[in-house]
Amino acid sequence: MKMETSVISRRDFIGKAAGGIGAGLVLGAPNILRAAQGEASDKIHVALVGFGKQGKVLFDAMSNIPGLHFQAVCDIWDYNLKGGIAKVRALQGHTPKGYADIDEMLATEKGLDAAIVATPDFWHSPHTVKCLEAGLHVYCEKMMANTIEGARAMVRAMEKTGKLCQIGHQRRSNPRYRFTLEQLIKGNRICGQIVNINGQWNRAVSSSQDIGYNPKLAIKPEVLARYGFKDMHQFMNWRTYRDLSGGPISDLGAHQIDIFNWFLGVPPKSVFASGGNDYFKTREHFDNVMTIFDYETPQGGVRAFYQVLTTTSAGGGYYESFMGTEATIQISERSAFTNIYRESSAPSWDGLVSRGFLKRQAAAPKAQSADAIASYESAAPEAYALPGDLSKPPHQPHLENFFDAVRGKAALTCDARHAFESEAPIYWVNPSALSRQPINLTAEHLSV
Amino acid sequence: MKKQHIASTVFTIAALVLSSCGKKPPQDSTDAGASSAPTSGVPLSTELPPELIEGTPKPMDVPNLVQAPVKAPELLVPEGTTLISQGKPVTGSEESPLIGELSMVTDGDKQAGEGYYVELSSGTQWVQIDLGQSAEVAAVWVWHFHSQKRAYNDVVIQVSDDAEFKTGVSTIYNNDYDDSSKLGKGSDSPYVESRFGMLVDAKGAKGRYVRLHSQGNTSDEMNHYIEVEVYGKTL
Repeated sequence: MKMETSVISRRDFIGKAAGGIGAGLVLGAPNILRAAQGEASDKIHVALVGFGKQGKVLFDAMSNIPGLHFQAVCDIWDYNLKGGIAKVRALQGHTPKGYADIDEMLATEKGLDAAIVATPDFWHSPHTVKCLEAGLHVYCEKMMANTIEGARAMVRAMEKTGKLCQIGHQRRSNPRYRFTLEQLIKGNRICGQIVNINGQWNRAVSSSQDIGYNPKLAIKPEVLARYGFKDMHQFMNWRTYRDLSGGPISDLGAHQIDIFNWFLGVPPKSVFASGGNDYFKTREHFDNVMTIFDYETPQGGVRAFYQVLTTTSAGGGYYESFMGTEATIQISERSAFTNIYRESSAPSWDGLVSRGFLKRQAAAPKAQSADAIASYESAAPEAYALPGDLSKPPHQPHLENFFDAVRGKAALTCDARHAFESEAPIYWVNPSALSRQPINLTAEHLSV
Repeated sequence: MKKQHIASTVFTIAALVLSSCGKKPPQDSTDAGASSAPTSGVPLSTELPPELIEGTPKPMDVPNLVQAPVKAPELLVPEGTTLISQGKPVTGSEESPLIGELSMVTDGDKQAGEGYYVELSSGTQWVQIDLGQSAEVAAVWVWHFHSQKRAYNDVVIQVSDDAEFKTGVSTIYNNDYDDSSKLGKGSDSPYVESRFGMLVDAKGAKGRYVRLHSQGNTSDEMNHYIEVEVYGKTL
C-alpha cells in the first residue's frame, strides 16, 4: 500500500487557515485519487441520510458551503427528521422531502447527486452501497462499517459504480495536517527518522455517559426492530454495542490511527492490544483500550502506541505525536494540543522560521531544577508552532473537498479504498484485545 | 480574561503553599450560578436535573468566562415567593423552532438528553414567557443546554408589562459585553452552562412578561432552552 496525497504549500496553508480561499482550491488532483469527470453543474442536489448528532455536525459544516441544494432528509426517528427538515428549511428557504426509509427515498427522489450518510456504523455499508448503486456520490462518516466485510463491500461498490465515495476522516483535508505532512515531515524532513508514535484520546467519564432521551418521543418498538435496534437505549447508544459499532477504538481511535497510517504511508505489520470494561462494566465494548502497532517503513521500524480512554480527560486531551530523532510533532485537531519540539542536537530551524514554516514559541523551561538530577535528563527541546490555524468547522474542508470532487474540480482526499487501507488494521484491535494475543497483519487481514 | 487568569494562577500557587502549611485555602470565587447575593429573605431551591455530559467539549474562547459551578447557586428571595412560570405560554422570535416546541421552556423538565430542549435558529433569538398577569419577579432560573460544556453568547433577560418590550423594560441580566445584539451593553459575565443552571436575581422587577435573548453559543450558532423558571409574586 502506498498512501499518497496532494501537496499543500506554506502559502496555501496560511491562506487556507485564514479562510481566504475558495473551496475549489483546497486540493490538487493526484493521479491515484478519485475525481468525478465532467459533472459540473450549478447546484449539487443532496440527500441527508441520518440526521442524528453527527448528521447535524455535518449539516452545520455544509451550511457554509455554497452551491448545495438539500433535497431530502431521511431518518427513522421522527424527532430527528422534523429537526432536519426545519434546519434545511431555515437554511435554504423551502422544505425538503422527508423520509423514514432510505429505500423509499431512493425510489422516489429524482435528480439527486449525492448522499451524506451519517447513520449508525452498522448501517454505513448498506446505506452507502444502496446510494452508490442508485447513482449517487456518497460522503459517509467513518468508521466505514462495524465489520471489515462491510467496509470491503463499500470499496467494491465504489469501484463497480464509478461513483465517488469519500469517508469522513476529516483530518485528511485539514490544512494543518496536510501542511505538516507535506512541508514539514516530507518536504523538510523535520523529524529526522520517525522511530515512535504516540497518540491518545482521553475523554472524561462525565463526557462518556449514556445518551438520554425523552421517553415521550420514543420510536415504536416495531420500527426499532425493523432497523436492527432491540430498544430505544440501543438506538441512542449504539456506539456501546458490539454488533452495531467498533466501540471507542473505532469511534475515537480511528481518526487518529488513520493519521499514523497516512503519515507513515504504510500499514502496520502487527497489532497487540489490551482493553477492559473497568468502569462502564455493563457495556459490551471496552471503555479503555491500549494498542501497540509495529511498522516497517523505508526509513526503518516504527513502534506506535495508541490509547483511547473514556474514563479520564487527564493527560492532554487528544493528539498524535510523531517522535523522531530530530523533532517531535504533536498534532491535533485542536490547535491548543499542537506543538513541534526540536531536539537540541538537530540542525537549526532558524531558516524555517524566517521562511514562515514555523513560529518560535516562548522559551522552554530549563531541564535542570532543584528536584531533578541533571545527569539523568536531556536538554529540554525547543517548542515551535505552525504558522496558521483552521478558521472553519473541522469537517468543512473535507466536505468541500467532496463537493469539489463531485464537480470534477478536485480529487478526493480519502476515498473508500484509501480509507479502507488505513482503517483495515483498526478492525483487528478489538480481536487482539479479546484474545490477548498479538496479530500479525497479512494481506488477508488488510486487503479488499 | 488575562487578568482573571493571572489572578487564578496566583491563587493556585497560594493555595498550594497554604495547604502545605495545614491552613485551609480560600474558596475559589469563579463559580457561576447566582448573579448576586441578597442578604435577607428565604433560600430559593428547585429540583436539579442529573448531570449528563456527552462527547468532547469544544473550546470556549470567550473573555471573562465564568466556569461551571460545582454546587447549586444560592439566592435569598422574599418570603412568599413561588414558581409562577410553570406551564405558562411561551412565544418566541421564531414561531416554529428548529427542534422541539416552545412549550418545553416551561414544562418543568430540565433533563439534558435528546427531546428535552428547544432549538432556535442562529443570530439573536428570544423566547418570552407570559406570566398571565403582572408580577414582582424575584428570580429567573435558566437552563439553556447542559449536556455539553458551552457558553451562550449575549444572554440578556428582561421583564416588562409590554408584550412588545418597547416600554417599561427592566433588564435583569446582560452579558452582551460588546452590545452585538443591540439591546445595550451588559456587565454580567458569560458563563459555562451546567445542570445547576444560571440563577438570576431579578430584584423585584415588575412585569407580566419575561423575555430571554441569546445569540448562539460556543459550540454552534444555534440558541437553546431546556427550561426557564420565573419566581415571584403575582400582583
